Amino acid sequence: MKPHSRNPSPRSKQLILPVYHPQIQVPGSFKKDIESAAPTAQMDIVRLHPAHIPHVQTCNITNLPENYFAKYYLYHALTWPQLSYVAIDLSKPPTSSNDPPKIVGYVLAKMEEEPVDGIPHGHITSLSVMRTHRRLGLAEKLMRQSQKAMVETFGAKYVSLHVRVSNKAALRLYKDTLQFEVEKVESKYYADGEDAFSMKQDLGFIWDAVKADEEALGIADKKPDGTAAADEDLDEGDPVGDEGQSDKKKKKEVVRKVKVGRALGVSDLVEKVEPAKAAS
Amino acid sequence: MCSRPSSRRRPPRGCVSTASTTTSNPLFWPLSPRCQASLTSSRRIQSPSTILKKNPRHGETLAMKGLLINCQGKTEDAFAIAKEALKQDMKSHVCWHVYGLLYRSQKNFDEAIKAYKMALRFEPESQQILRDLALLQVQMRDYPGYIESRRLMVISKPQIRQNWTGLAIAYHLAGNLAEAENVLTKYEETLKQPPPRSDLENSEAILYKNDIIAESGNYEKALDHLELIARTALDKVAILEGRAQYHLKLGKSELAEKGYRTLLDRNPEKRDYYAGLEKSLGIEGDDRLKIYEELATQYPRADAPKRIPLDFLEGDAFHAAAQRYLDWRLKRAAPSTFTSLKALYSDVAKRECLQQLVENFLAKTREEAKDANPPAADAADAEANTNGDKLTNGGSGNANSNNNNSVLVYTLYYLSQHHDHWRIRNTDTALKYINEALELAADNADQGELRLGLARILKHAGDVRKAMEEMDNARQQDKSDRYYNTKCAKYMLRNDCNDDAIKTMGLFTRNDVNGPLGDLLEMQCVWYITEDGESYARQGKLGLALKRFHAIFKIFEDWTDDQFDFHSFSLRKGMIRAYVDMVRWEDTLWAHPFFRRAAANAIRIYLLLNDKPHLAHGSLANGTGEEGVDFESLSTADRKKAMKKAKREAQRQEKAAAEAAAKAKDDRRGGEEKRQDDDPLGAKLAQTAEPLEKALAWLKPLLEFSPNFLEGQTAGFEVYMKRRKYLLALKCLLAGHALAPEDPVVHEQIVKFQLFHETFTLAPRDTPLPSFNEGYLKSHADSGRAIFSVVRTRQVLAAAAAEGESAPAVETDSEALLVDALSKEGTTLKDAVDGLAVVKEVKGDVAAYTAAARARWPLANIFQAKA
Repeated sequence: MKPHSRNPSPRSKQLILPVYHPQIQVPGSFKKDIESAAPTAQMDIVRLHPAHIPHVQTCNITNLPENYFAKYYLYHALTWPQLSYVAIDLSKPPTSSNDPPKIVGYVLAKMEEEPVDGIPHGHITSLSVMRTHRRLGLAEKLMRQSQKAMVETFGAKYVSLHVRVSNKAALRLYKDTLQFEVEKVESKYYADGEDAFSMKQDLGFIWDAVKADEEALGIADKKPDGTAAADEDLDEGDPVGDEGQSDKKKKKEVVRKVKVGRALGVSDLVEKVEPAKAAS
Repeated sequence: MCSRPSSRRRPPRGCVSTASTTTSNPLFWPLSPRCQASLTSSRRIQSPSTILKKNPRHGETLAMKGLLINCQGKTEDAFAIAKEALKQDMKSHVCWHVYGLLYRSQKNFDEAIKAYKMALRFEPESQQILRDLALLQVQMRDYPGYIESRRLMVISKPQIRQNWTGLAIAYHLAGNLAEAENVLTKYEETLKQPPPRSDLENSEAILYKNDIIAESGNYEKALDHLELIARTALDKVAILEGRAQYHLKLGKSELAEKGYRTLLDRNPEKRDYYAGLEKSLGIEGDDRLKIYEELATQYPRADAPKRIPLDFLEGDAFHAAAQRYLDWRLKRAAPSTFTSLKALYSDVAKRECLQQLVENFLAKTREEAKDANPPAADAADAEANTNGDKLTNGGSGNANSNNNNSVLVYTLYYLSQHHDHWRIRNTDTALKYINEALELAADNADQGELRLGLARILKHAGDVRKAMEEMDNARQQDKSDRYYNTKCAKYMLRNDCNDDAIKTMGLFTRNDVNGPLGDLLEMQCVWYITEDGESYARQGKLGLALKRFHAIFKIFEDWTDDQFDFHSFSLRKGMIRAYVDMVRWEDTLWAHPFFRRAAANAIRIYLLLNDKPHLAHGSLANGTGEEGVDFESLSTADRKKAMKKAKREAQRQEKAAAEAAAKAKDDRRGGEEKRQDDDPLGAKLAQTAEPLEKALAWLKPLLEFSPNFLEGQTAGFEVYMKRRKYLLALKCLLAGHALAPEDPVVHEQIVKFQLFHETFTLAPRDTPLPSFNEGYLKSHADSGRAIFSVVRTRQVLAAAAAEGESAPAVETDSEALLVDALSKEGTTLKDAVDGLAVVKEVKGDVAAYTAAARARWPLANIFQAKA
């Protein structure tokens, strides 16, 4: 049987079903477009902190059918802390210091740990915005923060994601607003048998901006395409590229019995077997 | 209850990852029940048993057998074997290590640590035992122990960076910043050449060091260090934020300003950056407006620079800024305009100003609508769906009739929300606006949105039944939208339709393993479980309610356990700043409002069960049982009979539930195993013989982690009084009094305690208690909650007086007071519902009370006569 989305077993791809209202569209390039100002709510956009997780989890299960237990969010927050962002509604001032933030949107993102094509790239695990806070361009703002960090910290060349073929609204967000391109259709990708569009966006435009930033700040690297650590890890992964091989893996995965639930350890969440570098 | 963090039954990661290289050492075999189950354990048992056949008293082999037996779930046998093993071979580190592992699997960490330490005494070189010990120590927050273990690990493998980092973290968590920094520096000094820029572990380690320096308060040094590492560190945001912050702290205003402007350029939606910019510019008050106007021009798509000034501006300046803001927002027809502004509603002048501005805007929009949209233009409606998408998509300027219609609709929506705000709560006006909007709304998306608003207004007015129906209407507008589905289920729970709610949730849950509820539990859907429990509590189904709240407790235990794996994982990954954030968050986890809410509910139920054990049987709960037997008015014999009957009924229900579960299991596809639940209705939970002890398990973390949570302190008082732990009760009372000296519940408890112990005086020493009570009434005459409390206290005093000799002071106006409480301005619908319980408690005139309540809350279902 097909591994379920929330069952992040090795090699299972993370599923997303971004929620997005048809009217959320903001004409989008990363550069600021002064002509087309769109409204936003009173919102703070900040990095995901572990304390946000119960509320990100609530936001996710309120909006989307693909859900995860808290540990899976922790796994993201503690492996790629730079990549996930949340939108916090500040309209209710906290009554005590212990009051948790009201999370109304989030992007949960990661680096592909074992890129089949050998190119370091990011992946959007999940993205959603509460219905009460749609049409405000939050999804785009969250996404842009995440994408920039993918480039700066992890040297990502592109970012990929999956979307249900039936989710027209999300498709429009990714295609028109965020300028993702459909790469292929993944048959029966979702637990309920629905197909997914596999989409990606080249991050070249951010590389340019980052380079310009670094030069301006006087922190530009001598080798401008400063490769990030993801490159090194590749050497420990499987041989790169062979399509047939990855298909085989997939078939194997289909018959494999999958453990469900949060009882899995962190290593079960990781999509590739960690080299035990420092052990022993 | 474990108020300390605890671990799951899972081997530390190191154990698994090294398994292949060290198979010769049986201790590296997988240990968790889960791992074990997936292997053919019978074969594994064979090898020890072969050895044991020849040498039945071989200690280490016996120990391994014990470990394997434990993995099969036979814990008692396992301990017996492990003890026997120790008896045979007291000096074997294997035997002691196994003994410790058994304890760890039982979450008895103290004993596990002791056993590991014994094992280490016989085998001081074992990295495996040392690592197991260290992981438990940090999980238990035994920092001195953790530092020592980490130190030994550095000594044995100083070439590995993560050992040094681990030691630094140990010092850092223990509060020794200087030593933490020192350890990191020592490692850096061993490097012959700097690591490449692509070394992520290095990048994080140097940023971590910078955090530690800053945390010690030496910003000068932190800044210098930051400039050193700025080129190497890969987390640009951290560098920029650190730099701006240090400049500000050091009074280098110009540099700080530059830093915050750079950060705003990256992300103009973060309040901290604006605050930093204000400080670095040294501007305050209305002077700030100029900066925000400048930034609003610079970042036209950002909300913050337009919205923030509304917080500090007053009077005409506010009026002008609010007008600009509303024009901008309302013209975009976004449904969230009110959400963005409601924080300002605590200020009367501001909310009146906003109302007037929106009303003006509405009048203007109506005029334009009339001009642009003659009544016959129906064709526009047909296009509404397609055009709607383009509205916010750069279509600015060409406001067609559709856009105008949307603007009108969402302006009306704003006003409906405005009048529904709890500080205003003018339900009729709110309904008028939302109904008009609903008539005008052209497309489905708007219809859904508005019905959601309508349902919310009805819910606030107490008409939970109709609110539920309207929310279901909203859901029908777009069944593929889980948000509607979620809200619909929530409103069903508010109307106590638990079965409908779970069915509705089931449309989006994964149902093939444990059914919808099983999935929600697995996915830790706290809101649903809590609302479900509260609904059952309202219905007097205390077993089910407890069942749900205990599920919340379990989720918090799991969240505590979740950190265990990261103690080793994060060191391997190198992302240690996020790891330290997590450890600190976990330290305060049990103070979370999700837990507080469940705990307050659970304690309340256990107190009820302590006073009236018959409530454990749903069918005997007063007035809510199907037969509506008033248990408390029955004679002793009849009570016994009723209890017997209720028990039979409960058994029947349990059996039915078990059968249903078994059937459901057969129906499911796939072979995934369903978890067995031997108490699906929570009957065993409710029928506990020691409800107060059970309440303590909730109370302890509540008091330990949320000492400033008033409801926790007052609950603690009740529990400890009933357990006759008067000193502890007093402690809670004093804490509660310090938090809110005039709170009605605290008032009641002051009286209760003084009745028990006369020399204790939070009340004035010379005033008799009845006068104290009446005095409280006088000084809080306009608070409904205070009145309820005073009436209840009169009851307590009268009962006490009846026991003693003194003549009870008879107060005759209690009933009138209770009705009067309903007319107080601050009395909320929730207060009124609580008041109803007081009326019943003092055996007052329920009809008169509900009639008065109905007059004020005409839509509230609870005060309507049963059909």
